[in-house]
Amino acid sequence: MPNLNGNAYGLTTLAPILNRDPNERSYATMLKELLDALPTGEHSPMAAVPETYLCRFFVLDNVVYQGLDIVKALPLPVPASHDRLKSAYLAFTANFHGPDLDQYLWGMWDAADSTIRQIWKYCVGFEQVHDAASFAKYLRRCQVETTFYFNGSTDESLAEQLKGLYLKQELAKFAFDNQGKNAEELQAAFFDFVRRTQPEELDGPSWRAGATSLERAVIGEASPEALRAATPGTPSGLRPTAKEPVQQNVGSAAVTQ
Amino acid sequence: MNERHELDLSDIQGNVVRGYPRYGFPKARYVFYRINDAAAGRAFLQRVFPLVTSAAMRSIAGATGAKARPSATTDVAFSYAGLQALGLPEASLRQFPEEFAVGMKARAAILGDDGPSAPVNWDPIWQDAEPVHLMIAINGANDDAIAGRYDQISTFVAQSAGGVQLRKGHRAAGRDDMPYQEGSALYEDGEATPKEHFGYVDGISNPYFEGCGAHDSAVIGGGKLVRKGFGSELAWAPLETGEFLLGHKDEAQEIAPAPKPALLSTNGTFMAYRKLHQNVSAFRDYLEAAGRDYPGGQEALAAKFAGRWRNGAPAAKFPTQAEADALTEQWHQAKLDVERSTTPEARHAAAERLSKLNVEMVDFHYNDDLGGTRCPIGSHTRRANPRAALEHGQTMAFETPSALSNRRRILRRGLPYGDSSTPGSDDHGIIFMALGASLERQFEFVQQQWLNYGNDFRLANEKDPLLGNHGVDAKGAPNGRMVVPAGEGARDVPYFCSKLPRFVETRGGEYFFVPSLTALRMIGAGSVDPT
Repeated sequence: MPNLNGNAYGLTTLAPILNRDPNERSYATMLKELLDALPTGEHSPMAAVPETYLCRFFVLDNVVYQGLDIVKALPLPVPASHDRLKSAYLAFTANFHGPDLDQYLWGMWDAADSTIRQIWKYCVGFEQVHDAASFAKYLRRCQVETTFYFNGSTDESLAEQLKGLYLKQELAKFAFDNQGKNAEELQAAFFDFVRRTQPEELDGPSWRAGATSLERAVIGEASPEALRAATPGTPSGLRPTAKEPVQQNVGSAAVTQ
Repeated sequence: MNERHELDLSDIQGNVVRGYPRYGFPKARYVFYRINDAAAGRAFLQRVFPLVTSAAMRSIAGATGAKARPSATTDVAFSYAGLQALGLPEASLRQFPEEFAVGMKARAAILGDDGPSAPVNWDPIWQDAEPVHLMIAINGANDDAIAGRYDQISTFVAQSAGGVQLRKGHRAAGRDDMPYQEGSALYEDGEATPKEHFGYVDGISNPYFEGCGAHDSAVIGGGKLVRKGFGSELAWAPLETGEFLLGHKDEAQEIAPAPKPALLSTNGTFMAYRKLHQNVSAFRDYLEAAGRDYPGGQEALAAKFAGRWRNGAPAAKFPTQAEADALTEQWHQAKLDVERSTTPEARHAAAERLSKLNVEMVDFHYNDDLGGTRCPIGSHTRRANPRAALEHGQTMAFETPSALSNRRRILRRGLPYGDSSTPGSDDHGIIFMALGASLERQFEFVQQQWLNYGNDFRLANEKDPLLGNHGVDAKGAPNGRMVVPAGEGARDVPYFCSKLPRFVETRGGEYFFVPSLTALRMIGAGSVDPT
């Protein structure tokens, strides 16, 4: 099915950039300058857009000349016709947790409308955009079908995936930090780990969207003081009994995959 | 008798095909020069030329048919700047690969030469903005042989009247202006050993390629893995020559583009020269501390790091220390028997046994140890040469089972330097040379993707425990990691090595072109003509 692979939506849009008197700086040039200056990683305005796995803006100046053409009736290849675009295009592509495109575009407007206005104002027809609904309608008109793309996600929501990455890293740290402890110590350490990481709370500690470095990725952890002040004992959701001893050995698969 | 050898070994420099230390040359001196004047530089090369050793293992000086074994060997290599300084035509220079042209220092980010391995910490000769031009490697049976050859070459330098200049600046013995880099096998009881400073037997497995002239049995472990028929049983076949020598068919079944004219590149190759400091005390301290908790102790952990026991036995085949020790005991006994046998029959029988044991050291792959319970997937030798393991058990994933390794093989040469009897001292390690047809595809790839990263092995960003450029955390404490998978016993558990420090640090190096003897003669004559 085009545009959708599992729940991962592949969005491709092309918006024609306004032409201008050739004696003035072209809008395409100004747009390139603007895009180049956009912050990236966790500071990107797109990091605030819900469910964005990744996205990319670029300016498509023209199509590439294809060289010689083979015409059956003729003995030798002939120069191909030289196609040219009538204007440059702003390409915006995104992979996000779907399947609903409108929901994504509404969310994008809500999270980043000032950036959207800044970028698309150089494009044909954008003067008709004044709210989330008209933005969604506009981009739908600009959409081209995405038929083949790489989906590097697990098909879960962004929050699930970020939490998964966070837990994987933290569990690896836990395994390395607590090797060789006896069952009692290990259980206590594991309860601390669960209290700190809150595995079931998507809104709890996790990774920041757009994070590009492990050191700055973690958000939402309580301070060590606050954790120490919390009531010791079994964290909610974990009820180990005598019949269900805590597993002592943390499998290597858990930390290396 | 008159059959033509597939390769003209007499046209190939000796070091390319033979690891000299294993041929009775356990000492080396690596000397580097600057060419101040192209004509004087070429005249110098013409004088050196008769001393250069070919892979046919007789010096050209004695090439009147006598197969006299030289007492010292001489190999010559050029940096890109050196080829420029010798006046190689621009049209030929432009066809050399980019990584060679920019040199090793400029590739620091790719090689992971950061922190203590960063070029600012290299020996002065390698830090200098002015690159070295020419490398002459002398190997010898003893110090006298080396000194003799060095003096001979120094006379030629003097005759060049400043046209060729020795580049000093190697660190050794508390000085940083040594005129050359020395290398030597480590000795035990007066005998040269194949060990390096961490105590491992080194250089056991080297690629075997079509026409290399080594004994047929060296294809085992040294060649590539192929499938017998269409089954899952694997066998060994020689690698294509073009992986190691320019101008020959390679594993992509093509003759890769090489600098023109063909005579300049054919039978030549590229070489990465690296001076690698070994933090022997850090290594011993870590093994001692972690070995207290690790089942099997220090030696077993050392084997997990390397994928071989320190005595050389491959962990994939000899998972316990008892098995590994038994193998080396048999090996030493067979060697003694060869030396002491009184009859030709006894000698022959002992030699057969020795050769079978040598095969035991290299005849393995990881298809029956995919999870790394015996030889960890992240261990050094398994990373550097994964054999067929990158099929990840998926038979018929590729045309040949070791397809993903075949184009990443390197010829490894070199010797230890310095003395680690006072392990805290700062001057001991290994002079490592990696040779192959493409520095980028072979040496750099292995270094970047396989030693300093783990993705191809499904080990995320874990690095080679021994050679990886382990970093430090925000507080400056080492933070390298390795998961040692659980052994085969039902009660075995995985072991987590954390806080691994950087055991090996780069102290300098450069990329060189190792020409054929024909090309060397032409460079010396100034007759390289790409038109």
